[in-house]
Amino acid sequence: MNSNFIVDTYLMTKRSTIAIFRNPFIFIPNIIISLFFLVVYQAGLSGISNIPAFAGASYLAFILPVSIVSGAIGGSGGAGQSLVQDLENGYFSRLLLTPTSRVAIVLGPILAGMIQLFIQTVLILLVGIWMGLEIAAGFGGAIVVILLAAGFGLAFAGYSVAFALKTKDAQASQAGTFVFFPLVFLSTTFVPYELIEADWLKFVSKINPTTYIFDGMRSVLINGWEAEPLLNAALVIVLICSITITFASLSAKKAVSRD
Amino acid sequence: MSDHAIVVQNLVKTFKGDVKAIKDISFEVREGEFFAFLGPNGAGKSTTIQVLTTLLNPTSGSAVVSGFNVQKDPFSIRRKIGVALQETGIDPSLTGRELLHLQARLFGFSKSDAKKRAQELLELINLTDDADRKVGKYSGGMRRRLDLSLCLVHRPKILFLDEPTTGLDPYNRNAIWDEIRTLNRQFGATIFLTTQYLEEADQLADRISIINKGEIVASGTSQQLKKTVGMDVIELTFHQREDAEKAKDVLEPWMKDFRLTNEELTLYVDNGAIFLPEMVRKLDGEGIPPVSLNLAPPTLDDVFLRVTGDHLEEKGNRQEGVVSK
Ligand SMILES: Nc1ncnc2c1ncn2[C@@H]1O[C@H](COP(=O)(O)OP(=O)(O)OP(=O)(O)O)[C@@H](O)[C@H]1O
Ligand SMILES: [Mg+2]
Repeated sequence: MNSNFIVDTYLMTKRSTIAIFRNPFIFIPNIIISLFFLVVYQAGLSGISNIPAFAGASYLAFILPVSIVSGAIGGSGGAGQSLVQDLENGYFSRLLLTPTSRVAIVLGPILAGMIQLFIQTVLILLVGIWMGLEIAAGFGGAIVVILLAAGFGLAFAGYSVAFALKTKDAQASQAGTFVFFPLVFLSTTFVPYELIEADWLKFVSKINPTTYIFDGMRSVLINGWEAEPLLNAALVIVLICSITITFASLSAKKAVSRD
Repeated sequence: MSDHAIVVQNLVKTFKGDVKAIKDISFEVREGEFFAFLGPNGAGKSTTIQVLTTLLNPTSGSAVVSGFNVQKDPFSIRRKIGVALQETGIDPSLTGRELLHLQARLFGFSKSDAKKRAQELLELINLTDDADRKVGKYSGGMRRRLDLSLCLVHRPKILFLDEPTTGLDPYNRNAIWDEIRTLNRQFGATIFLTTQYLEEADQLADRISIINKGEIVASGTSQQLKKTVGMDVIELTFHQREDAEKAKDVLEPWMKDFRLTNEELTLYVDNGAIFLPEMVRKLDGEGIPPVSLNLAPPTLDDVFLRVTGDHLEEKGNRQEGVVSK
């Protein structure tokens, strides 16, 4: 890692960040959907937290991670989209013709997605607090929630970049973001594991990485500091990040290769 | 070899599916030379540029640009060359100034130098008024000019321009021609330009290679190439198409080739000066004197026709053929 690489990465990230915030159609719908989840599910479902399985937890704290994770997926999914746009409008080739680090060219949109995700997550947390959320683990808990969102977002950014550079097609990479639905909804989205009715859904929620992110966030929001759910969440993030980022690097390597 | 900006030896590029885009081409471009690659759609012009500018690896053969091998030292080449590809490469969400500034920073300029350089180039391409608008809102001509200026940011000594004037109106085309000429003459930049336009190659280039179906079929200065045609061209205009057709039939025994476009007849003959008086007598005798008559040297299209048996530029409503003898 030399200073050129750092400058290149900074420049590429800055440029993607400007592009994101100049196109309000990219980030505003995403924030609205997240807040919509938060407000609507809280309004409609909060009564069920009286069921003993919730052990007295506030439904707001329970549903907040769903809102944050869905925002994280939307935000980081933009990384792939923006690379496809670069490929389509020829700017990708223009960048390849400069001495810029090839890694920085692909990393820029990913880091810009992370910045977007960070701002969104803080915003959702603030709205939650305004709605009466009390974080059991305090300020440190809020930081953990942001870190988990970032980790999960990074994994999803890797996925979206891999998909985008593999297909090189805007429609295809748009279609790729539909894994959002199984990821977010085939999990302990609305109720704790014990309350899930169907056995298949119980099974799927066990293998869905999102479940462990929800668990980690809920543990700091509802119970305070517990080691196990945080460790599990961290492990899951490391695992899925290494898979998606490997794929992303492979397809990026191919996209910048010259054969 | 230090006085050669580009040296290409037995270059071959085959794409997936056995598409032979370049079949064994060799050529050299001297430092400071204005060199044009002239050829029709699909000839292999863009593929050649992409290999020379480190975007594509050759299948075999070698290419050396600015003293560096394209496969072994692509990063050194990228610092030396400026490239405007056939499709412009700009991010529509940035402004013209931001794009120039970013480009300069990516080539290692400091912030303040990048700012200065961006302003210089905006002035050069007459884009100061629109500098702070999003590029997505630019017209086609403005995008072309900006794209061209992006490739000049780091003051490269070798420029690769892939059909820089395609799709431009005459005003913008002339502006870009002037610009490229200045870069070549005043700043001594080596220019590798591809084009489908005869006139462009003819007007601008010191030396031309004609490329067709992945092969270089002729090379030389415009004059040298035209000499190879070895024929004179007589351009005749008549009152009406019928007269032109009749004239064609009458003169058939003398011509090697012809072209008929409405009331204009173009003849290719061995020795125009000698044939001319006889031709005029013949046409008078038939009662179809031409309205105008012009004995012209051959054009690059004639050269292209000669070496490929095809015309380079499409012209509407044309009847043509080689007279069999
Ligand atoms: N990436 C690619 N994959 C497969 N075939 C390709 C690719 N790029 C170009 N070709 C083929 O190689 C041949 C030469 O294409 P090239 O783009 O070099 O032509 P060109 O002279 O630039 O034409 P034009 O004037 O239309 O731009 C064509 O047959 C084209 O279809
Ligand atoms: Mg081309």
